[in-house]
Amino acid sequence: MMTMQNPMTEIATSKKAGDTLLSVRNLKKHFPIKDGVLQSTVGHVKAVDDVSFDIRRGETVGLVGESGCGKTTLSQCVAGLMEPTSGEVLFDTGRGGTLGPEDRIDRMSGKQKAKYRRNVQMVFQDNFASLNPRNLVVDIVGRPLRVHGEASGGLLTERVVELLEQVGLGRQHLYRYPHQFSGGQRQRISIARALALDPDLIVLDEPTSALDVSVQAQILNLLGDLQQQRHLAYLFVTHDLSVVRHMADRTVTMYLGRVVEHGPTETIFRDAQHPYTKALLAAKPDLDDDPDAPIATLEGTIPDPARPPKACRFHTRCPVATPDCGWEVDDIVRLLESDDTLFERLSGVSRKSELEAELAFETEEAACKLWEVLRSDRVPEAMREATEILDVKGSKLNVRFRDSDEIGLRALGSGHEAACVHAGRLS
Amino acid sequence: MNAMNTVTPAPRIAEVKGLKVHFQSKQGRVHAVDGVDFDIRDGEMLGLVGETGCGKSVTGRCFLDLVPQPPADIAGGRVLFRPRGGKACPDCSGKGCETCGGTGAETLDLLNIPAKKMRQIRGEKIAMIFQDPGKALNPTLTIGAQLSEVFLQHKSHELLEAAGVGEGDRGWVAGSLRRQANQREGSFDRWARRFPPLKGPSRRLQKALDEKVAAALAETQIPNPRRVMTSYPHELSGGMRQRVMIAQSLACDPDLIIADEPTTALDVTIQARILDLIKMLQAKRRTSVLYISHDLSLVRKVCDRVAVMYAGRIAEVGTVSQVFTDPRHPYTQGLLNAVPRAGTRRGHLASIPGTVPELVDPPPACRFVDRCPKAMAQCRGADPQLLPVTEGHDVACFLEHPREDTAPETPRLETA
Repeated sequence: MMTMQNPMTEIATSKKAGDTLLSVRNLKKHFPIKDGVLQSTVGHVKAVDDVSFDIRRGETVGLVGESGCGKTTLSQCVAGLMEPTSGEVLFDTGRGGTLGPEDRIDRMSGKQKAKYRRNVQMVFQDNFASLNPRNLVVDIVGRPLRVHGEASGGLLTERVVELLEQVGLGRQHLYRYPHQFSGGQRQRISIARALALDPDLIVLDEPTSALDVSVQAQILNLLGDLQQQRHLAYLFVTHDLSVVRHMADRTVTMYLGRVVEHGPTETIFRDAQHPYTKALLAAKPDLDDDPDAPIATLEGTIPDPARPPKACRFHTRCPVATPDCGWEVDDIVRLLESDDTLFERLSGVSRKSELEAELAFETEEAACKLWEVLRSDRVPEAMREATEILDVKGSKLNVRFRDSDEIGLRALGSGHEAACVHAGRLS
Repeated sequence: MNAMNTVTPAPRIAEVKGLKVHFQSKQGRVHAVDGVDFDIRDGEMLGLVGETGCGKSVTGRCFLDLVPQPPADIAGGRVLFRPRGGKACPDCSGKGCETCGGTGAETLDLLNIPAKKMRQIRGEKIAMIFQDPGKALNPTLTIGAQLSEVFLQHKSHELLEAAGVGEGDRGWVAGSLRRQANQREGSFDRWARRFPPLKGPSRRLQKALDEKVAAALAETQIPNPRRVMTSYPHELSGGMRQRVMIAQSLACDPDLIIADEPTTALDVTIQARILDLIKMLQAKRRTSVLYISHDLSLVRKVCDRVAVMYAGRIAEVGTVSQVFTDPRHPYTQGLLNAVPRAGTRRGHLASIPGTVPELVDPPPACRFVDRCPKAMAQCRGADPQLLPVTEGHDVACFLEHPREDTAPETPRLETA
C-alpha cells in the first residue's frame, strides 16, 4: 500500500461507492466538413450523436465498438480534451448533492474546473507519442504535481519514486528517457503520470492494444490492484472484448456515434440483445470456443458517418433487419455506389423526402435493370418489404419507403438497455 | 481440418534447419534468431506465435531474403524450399539423397541462391502479406499499377501471347512489346505506342494485364475491382487495403504464403472477414501458409499446427489441439494463462513475471529460465533441444527431457 497518505485519498474514500461520478447527457460532437475555395461547411461528420451514460465511483465502464464509431472522440470529450457540439458532461467535484447544471464541465468556475482537471486523467493508446521523448521520467511523472503545486524539489522526486514503485518501476528509472523503456514499461509510466494527482476517474484509451499478451496481463493486473487500493473509476475504451469482459463492470457498445446497447458486462456477454453486439462477440476468436466452428463475419462496411442511416443505424448490415428498421432512399444510393454498372446510366436523383425519390436514368433499360435489382435477393428482404411504391415510368424510377420511428434504447431490466426492435423478443 | 486427422504427414514444402540470424549492435551480438527448426507441410497453415522481439518476423523474412545484411548476419542454418511441380533433384536425379531430404524433388536453400533466382521465387512461388498494408503499398502508385508489377514480373509470356507475340517473333514491334511486358520500355516505346502498328497489340497487352489484375482483386471479394484499380492506397479503408495485399500475394498462385500479422491493424469484424478469406482461398488452392501472429486465440482458430517461439528459439511445436489442450512448455502454459477469459477475477490474471531477456551474447541455457516457475538447476549450462513428447508434438524443455549430464556441471554454476 501507499507509504505516504495523500490528503486527497481520504476525501475520495469517504465518498460513497455507487454515487454517480460522471454523467454524460445527450452528448453530440459533430465535425464540419469543409470544401471549396471559401472553405464553406458542406456537411458534418457525426462522430458522437446523442450519447448518454453514467460512471459511478469505483466502477469500470467498458466502451467498445469498431474504429470510427466515435469511442475515442467520446472519451476525449469526457476527459475535457474536446468541446462537445451540444449536450453536457457533468462531473462530481465534491460539491455535494446530486449532479446539476452547475456541475457541467464547460460551465464550471475556475476552482471547480481545477478540481475536475486533477480528478480526471487520461492514459493514451500510443505510449510512444504521448510521452515527450525529450523529457526524463522524473519530469514526465512529476509535471502534474508541479502544475497543481503539490510538490517541488526533493519532495517532488520522492513523490515520483513512490508513484513509480506503485506501478512496478523504481528509483533507478527516474533519470531515463522514454525510448529507453519497453512498451509495457512506457505504459506503466503513463499510468504513473495519470495517478500522480490521485484522480477519481482515469480514461484509458486502448491502454493494452499495443502490448503483448503477457505484458497486457501485467498491466491489467496493475490496473485492477490500483482500482481496489484507490477506489478509482475507469472508462475503459477498447475494441478487445476479452479485455472488456475481464475489466469492466458495465459495458457500453457504440456503433456509428450512437450507443446501441449497454448494461452489466456479464449480461451483455451472456445475453446480448443487439445484433451488432452479437456480431462483435462472435467475430472475436476466444480460447474457450469451438476451434472448428466457422468464423462469424459481418457483411458490408460502416456507412459514411456524414450521412448516417435513418432509425437504426445498423440496419444496412443487420442480419435480422425488419421493414421497420428505417429503410430510406440513401440505402438505394449505397447500393448504387457499390455497383458501377448500375451507377453509370444514372442521370439525376430528385429527392422529395428521406423516404421518397425519383431516379432518372439515361435509358429505360437502365431504369428497369435497377427495378429488377431492387426486387431481387441482392437487397435484403426487409428492404423489399419496406418498399411501398416501386415503379418505372419511362426512364424514371419512382420509389417510396414505409416510414419508421426512431429506435431508442429500451430498458430490459437490471440496467440492461438495447436499441433494437427485437430487443427483449429474440434471445 | 486439423492435421491430427491425417495419418500420413503431407510432404514438407519448406524446412527451416538451425536458422541463426544475429544482429551486430554496440552492446554486442544480438542473437535474434538462434537455432530455429520447423517445417511446413504441403497445404497446411502453420502458426508461428510469440511475443514482440522473439524473432518471428525475422524468421519469416528469411524465406524471401528480406533481412538486410548488414546489420543482420545470417550466422548459420538453412531454409529449404521445395516448389510444387519442381524438377527432380539434380544431385540424385529423383532417387532421394541428402540434399533433397529423400524426397527426390528439387530443393532450394533460400539462404544460398543467387539474387536473380530469388527474384523469380519472390511473388511467384513464395509471397508475403505484410502487417501494415498502409506502409507496404506504394502511396504514389495506383492499386492497378502496383498489382500489374507482379504480372509483368512473372507472367509476361502470357501477356505477350495475348498481344499476339510468339516466342520466336523478331522485329521492332515484337521487341517493343516485349520491353513493355518486361518493364524495360523506354520513352521511344511509350511514344511509338500511340501509333500503328504498335497501337493495337499494345492495347491488347494492356487489356490482358488489366483483366488479370481485376480478376485477382475480384477473388478477394473486393466490390468494384475496376474502380479500386484506379484508386490510390489512401483512398481505401484498412480492410480493403489488406485485401489488395492479399490479392497481390495470391496473384501468381504461390506455393507458400508468409503472412506476417495480417490482421493486427484491423478491427475484429474486419479481421474475421480477412481470416475467413485467407482460410477459404487457402482451402481452394491448397496453398501452404506460415501465419505469424501474437494472438493465440486467433492462431487456434485458423491454423493446423502451431510453433511457439521465445527469445529466438522454438519452445514448442505441435498440432493446434496438442499445443492448446496439453501445453508442455512452461512458457506456452504462461502465455495461455495470461489471456483474459471468462471467470478470471479482475487483477488476478496469471501474468508471466519479468521481461524478455536481452539477447546479447546469451550464455547456453534455457532462455526462459529467469521467468520460469518450474526452473531447475539443470536448466542452466546447456540449451534444451526440441525433442518429441508425442507423435508430432515437440518441446524444448528439460522437464520433459532431463539432461543426462546434470550432476557435474550444475553445482559449479550455482556457486559462480
